[in-house]
Amino acid sequence: MTAVIEARELRKNFPGRRDQAIEAVRGVSLQVARGEIVGFLGPNGAGKTTTLRMLTTLLPIDGGSAEVAGLDVRRQPGRVRARIGYVSQLGGADELATGRENLTLQGRLYGGRRGDVARRVGEVLERFDLAGFADRRVRTYSGGQRRRLDVALGVVHEPEVLFLDEPSTGLDPQNRASLWDHIRGLRDRGTTVFLTTHYLDEADVLCDRIMIIDHGTVVAQGTPRALKQQVAGDAIVLVTRDADAAGLAAAELAGQPGVRDLTVEAAAVRMYASDGAAALPGLLRLLDRAGVPVRSLRLSEPSLDDVFLRQTGRSLRDAGDPAAPAPDQGVPDQDAPDHGVPDHGVPDHSAPDHGAPDHGDAEAVA
Amino acid sequence: MKALTDIGLLFRRHLVQLLRSPVWLVVGFSTPILYLALFTPLLKDLVGLPGLPSGNVLDLFLPGILALLAFASGSGPGFSTIFELRSGVIERLRVTPASRFAILAGPILASMLLMFCFDLVVVTIGAAFGFHVHAAGLLLLCVPLALLMATMAAFSIATALATGDINGFAAVINGLNLPVLLLGGVLLPISLGPEWMKVLAHLNPLYYTVTAARVLAAGTFTGAAVWQAFAVLTPLCVVVLGWATAVVRRAVA
Repeated sequence: MTAVIEARELRKNFPGRRDQAIEAVRGVSLQVARGEIVGFLGPNGAGKTTTLRMLTTLLPIDGGSAEVAGLDVRRQPGRVRARIGYVSQLGGADELATGRENLTLQGRLYGGRRGDVARRVGEVLERFDLAGFADRRVRTYSGGQRRRLDVALGVVHEPEVLFLDEPSTGLDPQNRASLWDHIRGLRDRGTTVFLTTHYLDEADVLCDRIMIIDHGTVVAQGTPRALKQQVAGDAIVLVTRDADAAGLAAAELAGQPGVRDLTVEAAAVRMYASDGAAALPGLLRLLDRAGVPVRSLRLSEPSLDDVFLRQTGRSLRDAGDPAAPAPDQGVPDQDAPDHGVPDHGVPDHSAPDHGAPDHGDAEAVA
Repeated sequence: MKALTDIGLLFRRHLVQLLRSPVWLVVGFSTPILYLALFTPLLKDLVGLPGLPSGNVLDLFLPGILALLAFASGSGPGFSTIFELRSGVIERLRVTPASRFAILAGPILASMLLMFCFDLVVVTIGAAFGFHVHAAGLLLLCVPLALLMATMAAFSIATALATGDINGFAAVINGLNLPVLLLGGVLLPISLGPEWMKVLAHLNPLYYTVTAARVLAAGTFTGAAVWQAFAVLTPLCVVVLGWATAVVRRAVA
């Protein structure tokens, strides 16, 4: 396994209010092997984009070191750029130009000869299902077409590593699925893909390996499967009448064999059990005898959110704004300038849940 | 070599963008023509008064318009830079191995080409109304015009990158516009003003361009105004371009 991306103790501080530096990234170390799709999963403001921007030469590295495609990012930024592709959250295609013009310019800026570029552009247009409107101006493209063009712009020069920042933000479920297929297609052609996401399902379904990042540090990493196995067990959530009842229930259940990581949250008791389905009847009988009413219960196989919860003590859905349980404030993410200002410290407004990627800030980026 | 190719590619890109924004073109062409049409009549009776040269009013006024055009064309590119920052274009270009200088020079040269087209229109129309065309002088005048335009454009783009938002950028550019224009002697020669104004004007690159433009447009090549303009504008342009390239290189945006 050769590492295509290797970072050691990466650090980035941004000047904050009253001379207090914001530590956006504090000691991130990571390794990505050739031909992997690796996902950087974390809430908004966790330091994902900042790390990505350091690895892609867009942001100076304050501390630590990084190698991409065997080249030192700090010392040889120019040579690193030639070997990587990068697709930002904003995309960055010229709206007044056609898809083909955009791709051709991109290919030429990477030093391709006119003939080679024309051939590759034709190929990429086919591959990303853009050929039908290659000569229309980008302004007329739909969201999904636009996103496919963005990704195509990132790979027209056939980079070794492709960096994708929140690739599926703003896409409807159908377009997301199609984008994922295209990304898998890139991996199958040997391209290493490093992406950031705050969508659990995207990390789970698309990525070969995941790094969970929170507050500027990697808190867990592994394959989605292995990460979920770390939690080792099913999540059980019992909802009782009120907080008092929940406290009683917790006291009853705490000592039970097989029950772990018990937490109380308002009227709900949350715990993990190796075999949740088998454990449930016993637990319910126990509570019944103790006179604690159970209003409802939920049993679920561990999700990446459970992994996140276990590592950080918060649910990814609530993360980003620890003070409030993340109601949808409807503040478009766009107003937090993605350029310049780090994504750190921007209050999250909507941590989308598993099935609804198109909700919340989805429209904001489109 | 790669840098030259990149400049060519990005020059073409910006030119195409400009040509595909017809509103811009209309505004760009109409501004100098409005100046000529709506301001020259006011000057008509001033010509020949003490302190002002005699002859056709356009001989006095048109060179100033050319300098003004260079200045105005130079402040424009930053506005597209702001837009390109917001739409991710700048970031996309910065992550390619394209020469950092080319990322700056491409838009500057495209806008400059357009500026010279406007100049040509202004001179042609002016000539029809009595402006005396001294071809050699006007050709040499292209150099200080290009220097001023490139300086302003590099400043404009770098300011856009540094501020990153339209409000901050517009504040800087507009705040600069008025004093530079008033102290440039575009509309009326600064020589009519008091001593302190003349001193202040000497800090203004537009002033040197305007005075040199008047001399060169009259077909004179000697004279302090000409070499002074070159002596001021050339190093200024080099320094500002160097600074702006550094801003592109490390632009956080």
